Amino acid sequence: MRIICPLCGERGAEEFVYHGDATVRRPHPDSSAETWNAYVHLRDNPAGRHSELWYHAAGCHAWLVVERDVRTHEIFAVTLAQDVALARRPVTA
Amino acid sequence: MSTASETFPREIAAPAAAVSTRPAQPFRLAEAAGVDRKNLLDFTFDGQRYSGHSGDTLASALLASGVRLVGRSFKYHRPRGILSAGPEEPNAIVELRDGARREPNTRATVAELFQGLTATSQNRWPSLRFDVMGVNQFVAPILAAGFYYKTFMWPASFWEKVYEPLIRRAAGLGRASGSHDPDHYEKTTTHCDVLVIGAGPAGLMAALAAVRAGARVVLCEEDFLLGGRLLSERRMIGNRSALEWLREAEAELRAAPECRILRRTSVFGVFDGAYGAVERVGDHLPVPPMFQPRQRLWRIIAKRHVLCAGSLERPLVFGDNDRPGVMLAGAVRTYVNRFGVAPGRRAVVFANNDDAARTVADLAAAGVAVAALVDARAEVTPEISRIAEAAGAKLLAGARITETRGRLALRGAVVTDAAGTRHNFDCDLLAMSGGWSPTVHLTSHHGGKPVWSEAKAAFLPPSHLPPGMAVAGAATGDPLLADCLASGAQAGAEAARLAGFQTSLPAIPETDGESAELQPLWRVRGGKGKAFVDFQNDVAASDVALAQREGFRAVEHLKRYTTLGMATDQGKTSNVNGLALMAEFNERTIAQTGTTTFRPPYTPVSVGVLAGRHRGHEFRPTRLTPTHDWATEQGAVFVETGPWLRAQYFPRPGEADWLVTATREARAVREAVGLCDVSTLGKIDIQGPDAAVLLDRVYANNFASLPIGRVRYGVMLREDGFVMDDGTTARLAGDRFLMTTTTANAVSVSRHLDFCSQWLWPELDVQMISVTEQWAQIAVAGPRSRAVIEGVVDAGFDISNAAFPYMSCAELTICGGLKARLFRISFSGELAYELAVPARYGDALMRRLMEIGKPLGVTPYGIEALGVLRVEKGHPAGNELSGQTTAADIGLGRMMSKTKDFIGKAMAQRAGLTATDRPVLVGIRPWDRAARLRAGAHFLARNVENLAANDEGYVTSVAYSPALGHWIGLGLLQRGTERLGEVVRAYDPVRGGDLEVEIVSPVLVDPTGDRLRG
Amino acid sequence: MVEIGLLSRSPLAAVLQPGHYGQPGQDGLVVQERTGLHIVNLAARRGQGGALAVAVQRSWGLELPTTPRRAGDGRLAFLWSGGAQWLAIAEGTGDLELSLKDRLGSLASLTDQSDGRSVLRLSGSRTRETLAKGLAIDLHPRAFTPGDTALTLAGHIGVQIWQLDDTPSYEIAVARGYAGSLIGWLLPAGEEFGITVLPPG
Ligand SMILES: [Zn+2]
Repeated sequence: MRIICPLCGERGAEEFVYHGDATVRRPHPDSSAETWNAYVHLRDNPAGRHSELWYHAAGCHAWLVVERDVRTHEIFAVTLAQDVALARRPVTA
Repeated sequence: MSTASETFPREIAAPAAAVSTRPAQPFRLAEAAGVDRKNLLDFTFDGQRYSGHSGDTLASALLASGVRLVGRSFKYHRPRGILSAGPEEPNAIVELRDGARREPNTRATVAELFQGLTATSQNRWPSLRFDVMGVNQFVAPILAAGFYYKTFMWPASFWEKVYEPLIRRAAGLGRASGSHDPDHYEKTTTHCDVLVIGAGPAGLMAALAAVRAGARVVLCEEDFLLGGRLLSERRMIGNRSALEWLREAEAELRAAPECRILRRTSVFGVFDGAYGAVERVGDHLPVPPMFQPRQRLWRIIAKRHVLCAGSLERPLVFGDNDRPGVMLAGAVRTYVNRFGVAPGRRAVVFANNDDAARTVADLAAAGVAVAALVDARAEVTPEISRIAEAAGAKLLAGARITETRGRLALRGAVVTDAAGTRHNFDCDLLAMSGGWSPTVHLTSHHGGKPVWSEAKAAFLPPSHLPPGMAVAGAATGDPLLADCLASGAQAGAEAARLAGFQTSLPAIPETDGESAELQPLWRVRGGKGKAFVDFQNDVAASDVALAQREGFRAVEHLKRYTTLGMATDQGKTSNVNGLALMAEFNERTIAQTGTTTFRPPYTPVSVGVLAGRHRGHEFRPTRLTPTHDWATEQGAVFVETGPWLRAQYFPRPGEADWLVTATREARAVREAVGLCDVSTLGKIDIQGPDAAVLLDRVYANNFASLPIGRVRYGVMLREDGFVMDDGTTARLAGDRFLMTTTTANAVSVSRHLDFCSQWLWPELDVQMISVTEQWAQIAVAGPRSRAVIEGVVDAGFDISNAAFPYMSCAELTICGGLKARLFRISFSGELAYELAVPARYGDALMRRLMEIGKPLGVTPYGIEALGVLRVEKGHPAGNELSGQTTAADIGLGRMMSKTKDFIGKAMAQRAGLTATDRPVLVGIRPWDRAARLRAGAHFLARNVENLAANDEGYVTSVAYSPALGHWIGLGLLQRGTERLGEVVRAYDPVRGGDLEVEIVSPVLVDPTGDRLRG
Repeated sequence: MVEIGLLSRSPLAAVLQPGHYGQPGQDGLVVQERTGLHIVNLAARRGQGGALAVAVQRSWGLELPTTPRRAGDGRLAFLWSGGAQWLAIAEGTGDLELSLKDRLGSLASLTDQSDGRSVLRLSGSRTRETLAKGLAIDLHPRAFTPGDTALTLAGHIGVQIWQLDDTPSYEIAVARGYAGSLIGWLLPAGEEFGITVLPPG
């Protein structure tokens, strides 16, 4: 699989580290145990298009949000995770 | 085979021996498109000397010399000859070379002849002509479908001792050389706009179209010559011979600056976004040239790919269709036209299609008698009748071959015609053609399934191709030369256009007339002999029928049960026939029966080339510390910790083992002063107005409150509440911290910090970069360490205890102006410092510290002694930070802040992680102080059975403590903190240990910490 | 620079000796360890990227690259090194970190990396073919030109490479601890083309 890093350009998957689901959001510290458990442990496993976090470990060290079809490995979009995170409502610690 | 003449049918006289000391090549013809008759080469096969020419394969040279018998079959050890002229060869599998370069399972049909080549047949014992295992064919019933499953079931212990050695000898798997491969292999990557796979007529046209558009093109050809079937057929392109056209096309491609032609290169797989290919750089040479690899693994990254892999001819399935001398018709034409070799003197051609008729014409043109053309179809075209007549061959339409004769070589065939009349023909060559199967393997490496076409009687590429791929030429199922040239040109131009180039379709030359009409014939009924489907795995039509009767109906089941298509040839010649038979026995269509999935590799790939240079010491890169060369001079023994090589201990003459050395080194630290390179600890420079905010969120304890010039020990959790890492962090300025991590977790902690700052809290103004490699850091530890440090710090820096107390840090200069950083931190529990200098000075600093410390008894120590010192102090390290321990488990529970949020805080409070019976960190010492402790032993109460249910934890780390004079350890024990003074057992079933140990505080040396503050 | 009493040591001291290696009579690859380079990492403070570019332009007349490019020359260059991050590389004796600090103030966080990286200069007619044996990126002149840089892997080792000219010549920076392993990959990769190792400079 080849991923187009928005900063570095197209690279082989060996330069990246997979992290997981990019749709989950870290809960507010006061959230219930169930909410925290869901954030840490519960993941959907869609057969198809998915939003994932990848890290360009051997390149620019940017975290990326990769929109990918997990069945075909077709990649629809790659965005800097920081831009995605800034665009959503900031979560304060 | 003692002499070639033995293989001749009796009625044909051998030609007079050539006037030469070289062995004759009695079957060599005058004309050959692809061999250099002037260049003679000597080789041996099974110890016998032969000769051939450059341009020959081992197979063509053997045929030229009259050798027919080249192997024994896998299961029944039946005599086998050369079936094909290409990579699909199932029979002619040999060992090439000898000694360390011996290469088993090589197909003689693709092994390029070289001077001095030695080859040995496989699957025979003791010799090819007399093979003891040939009796297997008389016990064939027990070797039928599923015999592996039926025969070798019980008892299990027989597998290793009896069955496996027996099968290996009987089945004649090739022998690995057993020595280190003396050659090297390498990997390389290339990028292009258009990758063309296969350099037959379609591939050449595709490459020409793309090259003319200006695209960067890579053209891969498995063969050592370009041209594909053009080399094998007598055809016209435009107004000249196909060979002339080929020469011009090749010249144009060679002259194109952006065209890379890779001959001898097999594309074996499509992986996500890249193709894997093996270039056999030196396989056609006795020894690879100096500095050249034996094979090169190519990773080809192409924007578009045109697959022009051609097609493979199918055998016909009839009784005893495996005798040496039975050959695919297309291969016969290859041997005649390309190699100038007559594969026999008198031939019968058996086919179900129009294409095979040209075999009759080509044989006749080469002077080989054609006894009969047996066409399975009731009606044949006038053109075929004309060819047969011109060749003097008896044409038998609507007929089948039902028997063959001969033992070590074919001597005749019996034809049964439509009326049931038997015709007996003497022949030493039987050319057969069951039609052609497109080579679609690579099209389905992305999960697409080939689609059956009833009209073409072939599996065609799936509609869902790997992204960027187009298929052209015979691989599409349209085998006519005119179609191949057209589809290649079209696909090449389109690929270049899609890669961003302006293209126009090149002119497509005219060809002479041709036809490939076909009527399927999946098996000949009524013959007595075994009718083979898979020659390499010895699977006959009767095996497929048996599997069906036994209920194996799904393709993948049939394949595994009968082993059809599972040998090294990957079923290239057998898959379609096997499926067709299965469909017939199941009374379903081939389309309903499906196809098996093709998985990489398309062709066998040596492990050596996949590894490239990464074997032995070069298996992976190693990271060296700034004092590595110094430590080497000191005779240090090194150990891998992650990617790093670190000094494990520094043995002195007379020291019996590492334990003696490590004990001496640890004692020196407790009593004098020791030096240890600790540069491998991860060091992260964290800057920015929000640096302290970030640290407070990633560490469980507080860092915002850390004063400038001070260091604090920190513990960080994962979000699931378990400990991730620990280390000290120094505050260099209000907005600048220097974090240290463990050596093992340096990379993952960096990634985690980036995750936090980019994804969780992108609003923070904080910048981070690893400075692990920038600084050489040396621990100076022991009661005399201050005196050593005093020897290097520049005047004006006060390192007295009052001015620079425990947990201080400073930026300063040493040795006359060298910028440095000094930390008063201690892993050993002694008065200690860590001194950091720019890495290039690390080596010199170590030497200087050794010199200054000499009168003080300075001793370099390695990580074994480091481990002893930390176990004595009860500091958790890798074995305790196992990813399954909480901060509370390792005695750091009180560090977790109650006043702020931090990563892991919420989940650390869940019930399972706060349970009171969790194993927690304790110290242990053996009740019998002379006893040696072992890490990994499990804690059991004194009077319980040795059962997992009674397990109360385990010993994580042990050390011989020079300070205490006996072994000590750390462990994780249920409710350990309440059990100080209790005696439990450390039970070690693996090493047979069962010791009584006393539970004590983890801190066994200087529990009040006076030394480190002194 | 202050006269200090310690000698510096290259991580390649034991593994890269000047001389000729591999195919005799050929010079497909020329390798030289760079010395005397000052390397400082600049990371823009949050939201200060524009101001930082203006300050760099004003101070040195150089355009801070926002894509994987290098701006500058042998005396001082800014090399894109990730999002809002650059390596300033200078030759000579001045204190680069200090001079950057003076002119850029708190627009960027500065980190000395002069010792953290080893830099090799590679040139010669077969440099691209040699590099292709370890780098998966496309160095073809249509894809990678003088001034381009990339952070990537070379022989499984993290590196930053940049092209200097069309010779072609490149410089490649590697974490100091991996420098020996990088040479352990590079020399065998280039030996078929013939290698000249120049004295460090
Ligand atoms: Zn990147």
